[in-house]
Formats: sequence, structure tokens, C-alpha cells
Amino acid sequence: MASKQADLLITNARLFCPASQLDGLGWLAVAEGRIAGLGSGQPDKGLKAGRLVDGGGKLLLPGLVDMRVQASDPGAEHLESLEALLRAAAAGGVTSLATLPATLPVIDNSAMIDSISLRASRLVGPRLFCLGALTQGLEGQRMAELGMMAKAGARGFASHLTSVADSQLMRRILTYAAMLERPVIHHCADPALSAEGEMHEGETATRLGLIGIPAAAETIVLERDLALVRLTGATYHAGHVSTAGSVAALRRAKQEGLKVTADTAPPWFLLNEMAVPGFDTAFRLDPPLRSEADRLAVIDGLADGTIDAIASDHRAINPDHKKQPFGMASPGAAGIETLLPLSLALVSGGAVSLERVVQCLTAGPAAILGLETGQLALGKPADMILLDSETGWVIRSADFITPSLSTPFEGQPVQGRVLASWVGGAQIFAMENWQ
Amino acid sequence: MTKTGSTPTAATLSDRHLLGIQGLAVAEITALLERASYFADHPRQSFADILSGRTIVNLFFENSTRTRVSFEIAAKRLGAATLNIAVSGSSVKKGETLIDTATTLNAMHPDILVIRHFASGAPLLLSQHIQAAVINAGDGRHEHPTQALLDALTIQRELGRIAGLKVAICGDVANSRVARSNLWLLGALGADLRFVSPATLTPPGLADMEVPVYHNLEDGISGCDIVMMLRLQTERMEGQETPSQHEYHKLFGLNQQSLNRAAPHALIMHPGPMNRGVEIDSAIADDHEKSLIQRQVEMGVAVRMACLEALAEGLA
Repeated sequence: MASKQADLLITNARLFCPASQLDGLGWLAVAEGRIAGLGSGQPDKGLKAGRLVDGGGKLLLPGLVDMRVQASDPGAEHLESLEALLRAAAAGGVTSLATLPATLPVIDNSAMIDSISLRASRLVGPRLFCLGALTQGLEGQRMAELGMMAKAGARGFASHLTSVADSQLMRRILTYAAMLERPVIHHCADPALSAEGEMHEGETATRLGLIGIPAAAETIVLERDLALVRLTGATYHAGHVSTAGSVAALRRAKQEGLKVTADTAPPWFLLNEMAVPGFDTAFRLDPPLRSEADRLAVIDGLADGTIDAIASDHRAINPDHKKQPFGMASPGAAGIETLLPLSLALVSGGAVSLERVVQCLTAGPAAILGLETGQLALGKPADMILLDSETGWVIRSADFITPSLSTPFEGQPVQGRVLASWVGGAQIFAMENWQ
Repeated sequence: MTKTGSTPTAATLSDRHLLGIQGLAVAEITALLERASYFADHPRQSFADILSGRTIVNLFFENSTRTRVSFEIAAKRLGAATLNIAVSGSSVKKGETLIDTATTLNAMHPDILVIRHFASGAPLLLSQHIQAAVINAGDGRHEHPTQALLDALTIQRELGRIAGLKVAICGDVANSRVARSNLWLLGALGADLRFVSPATLTPPGLADMEVPVYHNLEDGISGCDIVMMLRLQTERMEGQETPSQHEYHKLFGLNQQSLNRAAPHALIMHPGPMNRGVEIDSAIADDHEKSLIQRQVEMGVAVRMACLEALAEGLA
């Protein structure tokens, strides 16, 4: 490196970055918030650092980019304040997150983005980006002020848990968002097929007397959207993909050359509908937990690059709204603190390579949102995490930063603990008793 | 039911609640039916010592007259004090959760809670938060175990057996907890079951359970010993399942002509309340030679006595 003075120097760490094709013991230096040097072995003896960290041979990864988080603040900050969300994210190894627009009020104008961004900037934690609402009030009727929101920093535009049903409106949103060079991020669920639904449609739903949501509810909207992407040339992203039909449709669209990406989240590659008997509302999710064939197809999609990102789909649900009969409970779960170890379960299971999983957690979503993070490379923002990938632990919601939040992975043994997280070279998290 | 001569004793259940037919062992079902049959044989005898000093709460989140009254009479014949709580759907949405309700009731120390709820799984949730034994009196589209037990008892007492009988369950299967509980119960007792329903009222995955499904009433009930008609659950329907009640009656309503396809001795059942002129013609419903509908109501009390007694056996 040019200057011989770094703010932070991490040595003796296994630098691992799929985007930079890095995997080896080495060092990384940070100056002025950016990666100022990195290499294998030991750094030049002349390199001085304000702070020196011994990586202890652990993995040094780009910080996670969680592109699908629903902040509860403003509107339901009693469930999870912005401060708590950012602390939870930092503990989970997330250094950039994008919040969905379903706050109260809805993020459907530039003032909301200004307000949330300003508040986040005053807090220690990951970088926070906003996804603006596709439609005013998320009502699916009129286009929101996408241009103003893009100027205010919106990294994309998203729906809530309702698809835009009007194809003409969706076409115009796609066309307009393409002009703004922002992706349209859609929750695909045909409202008529899914509105009353309680779980995945099939034999299990019939046994339990719960109303089914067919896999086609997702695929119908996705296939329509893909036809509109073909028509408009827009950039499109399918959120939390859960079905084999969707994976197949996305695969075809990518082969065709459409500008299409997708994410999924741990529930849809680790669990299936067989979790539901017992009526435990922790498993009430939207989209619902699908069949085993769907789950395996989602894993295939992650492995072969059809699905580009793994997100947490983190959502704080009022605990009272979970203490209900299954069908009456609010769908959703916390996930930001468990995103990394649950994703690593794909690696230990042999289903997906570590490279792919890390790619899907870092550079994959960063590219979708147009962020320069997600990569360990010279000049990039110094957003990274130190990971102990060996240590096992058990997921307990009581240990979450917001302990009242529900998880479908309660009691699940996992491997991989974040030891420390940095954003722009500033430490935003360190595990207790670490250094 | 064949009389054994000896008086059957109270049935005992491995679970302290009765939440569904799924989860009951065949021996438990048989014991409940035997005891219920004994109660049915002794309609004038007093059994008031059995639940003397016990309190039973009927907690109904859905309108019901016959099931609630049936449970109430059963409880009274066993000597229990009963209390009925009717909760309308709208007040549920006002905020108090089912668990709040359970906690409140807990403080009053009922011994047995009989619950009907519009949401599948609600009795299970309640049972996880209450000290009382819970009986499911119908939850959503999930289960209605005492209805299936009374149906089995009615059939057994009329025809002397269940195993090997050809039973057609006809109509709105998708929305029916009665159909599901009967599938588990009559199936476990060896009946030869089939469903007859319009394709739009056939729940997905039924075919995977290896139960024949017919979409033509006359073919479906052909040669059957028992024709069980289900109520068209218009309150659970969104107006898209069938074109009209008129067409439903024409295609899936039981009338004398379609009934001729069943076995000559075939008997008709219906869990009630009936939509006369929709799923069943009045003339057939009221034909006391063929209709078991009144008998089902009668057996309901006996079955619920057996169930309440069995749960009381498990109380401290």
C-alpha cells in the first residue's frame, strides 16, 4: 500500500471472498474507511496500524448484504426499534441492509427515506438503504413517486406482501423504474389465490383443515411479470422465491437474457410444509412453507445461480399476533441474527458450495442493489466480518436482541458465529470475550 | 353394537384432551363407543354421580344449537354443572386473544372445556394454555371428533358393524370437519369409504390418501350401505365453488332417484343442520325407514356422555 499508516490491520485471517476469488491466510488493512491493502501471508513489517486485530485463523468475509428486511420503525417501534434492528443486524454479520417499504407511514415518498436514513446515520450499525414502495401507500392502485425516492437514495422499489394485480400498472412501473435504473422487487402471490390461504396447498393442508395456497399463486404472478419484463426491458427481482415452478421460470428467463434476479430466505431452503402439523404459528410464513420438492428446487436454484441472493426476510411480528390459531396468526419471523449460520447449513449439508453461499450473502445482493460493498478488494468500503465457522450453538429466540420475536428455527443447532463486524473499518459488533 | 352382557366401564384415553380422531387408538375409539352404547341403552337411568361436583364450560366461537345442547344435556345427565359462553366472531377480533380467554377461564377452574371455534387448530392452542381437559366440538375445517363418534355409534347400532360397510360421504368435503373426522374414524374401523363431491369442493391431496373420489353422485353411492350427506357450508364459501344451489341440487342433491343406485337397504345420514332441497330432498330426510338423522342426534348425547366421562377419569 501507498501510505504506511493504516487505521486498522487484521492479520492471520482466512480471507474469503468469492467476488475477488480470495481464499487463503492473509491480512487486510483499512484506511479512511476503505480497504487500503490486502494480501496473503504477513503484511510488510513497515506497515503501522492504529488498531491491530489478530484474526486467529478465522474466516474474514465481506460483510453480509441483507436485501430483504422489514423495519418496524417507524410505526411499530415498540416491537423493534431501528436501533435494535441495527444492533441485531450487526450481531448477525450484516453490514448493509435494505428495508422494505411497509413501515407506518409507508416509505412511498422521499421525505420518509430522508427521515429513516438520517436516523440510521446517527446510530452505530450497518449501512441502511431504503426500498421505496411501488405504489402509493402500497395499495396497488397508483404509482408512488419513484423518481423522487430514487434521488433520495432508494436502491429499488418493492411491494409488501401483496402483488400488484393490475398488469398495466405493473408494466408502467417497470418501464418507469428502468428509466431510473432501479430494480423492481416483487412479492409474487396472486391475491385471489392466496388471500384466504393459511399454508401450502396439498395433502397436509387437507389433513389439518387449513386453507391451501397453491404453488401456482406465486408462479402465475412471476410468469406475468417475466412477460412484462420482456415487453419493457426492465430490471426485475423476485423476492423470497419458494416454489419449483418459480425457480424453473427464473432459470428460463435468465437463459433468455432478461434482466432478472431473485432471492430466497432460510425457511424456504431448510424447512417444508411438514413443519406445520402441530399448528405452531412460528411456521406461519408468507410465502408459506412449501413441499419438499419445492425446497430442493430452491436449493438447486441457489447452487446453479438461478437465485442470486439469500436474504433474512426479517420481520418483527407482534407476539400477541402469533399467540393465535394458526390461520389467524400474522405471517413472518425474525431472521437477521440467524441468516448466516442457517445459510451455512447449506454448505455443511453439501448442497451448495461455500463460495456460492457467501456470494449470495454478499456480492450477489450488492450487485442487485447497486452497492459497492460485498467484496474484499482494494478501494472497496471496509465492510467485513470475522467468522468462527466451527463453533456450534443453538438458536434461542430468548437470546435475540429483541427477545420477543418469533423464529421457525427455535432450538435448531447451527454452526458459525460472527466474532466481529466492521462497517467502513469501524467496528459495529464484537462478540463477548472476543479479544 | 353386540351386547356382551357385562357392563362396559368408563373409557380411558391416553391423552388428557379429546382434540381429534387423529391421535386416538382404535381401542380407545372402541371403548368410547361401547360405553356410549351403554348410555344409549339406559336413557332413563341416572348417572349423576359420575361428574358430580364437576364444572363444564361450553365455549362456542361459532353458532351452534344442536352440538351445544347435546353437550349440555350430556353433562347434566352426568351430574356436572354447566356454563355456556357464546363468543361472537366480531368480539374476537376486538383484541382479546384465545389465550387471554383461556387464562381467564383457567382462573375459574373448570374441569372440562368444550370448545367450538372457526379456526382449525384452536382447541389445540387452548389445550396448551389451560389446566382443564379440552374437548374439540368442531374446529374450522379440521376435526369434529364427537360427530364422527356419534356417526359410528349410529351405524354400528343399526347395522351391527362398521368393518366392510360401503360408506359414501357426499357433498362439501372441502369445508367439512365432519368429513375429515369420519375419514379417520370410519377408516380406522375398517369401513370401505369413498367421497362424492364436486371437483371444486374436493380438497387437494385427497387422492393421495387413497380414498376414491367420485364427482357423480349416482356412481359414487352405487351399492353403498350408508349414504352420508354433508351440509353445503355456504358460510365458508366464497361464491365460486358452485354455480348455484339450484345446480348443486340437480347434480349433487340426494333424491329418491339417485338413492335407488345405493344398496336396497341403504341408510341416510346427515350431521345437520340440513339445507333441505339443496343437498337432500325433504322426502328422504323425513323417511324414517331410511333416514338415521334423528337417531344421530340421539346418539350424540350418549357419545358425549362417554367422552366427558373418559376425560373426567383423567382429571386429578
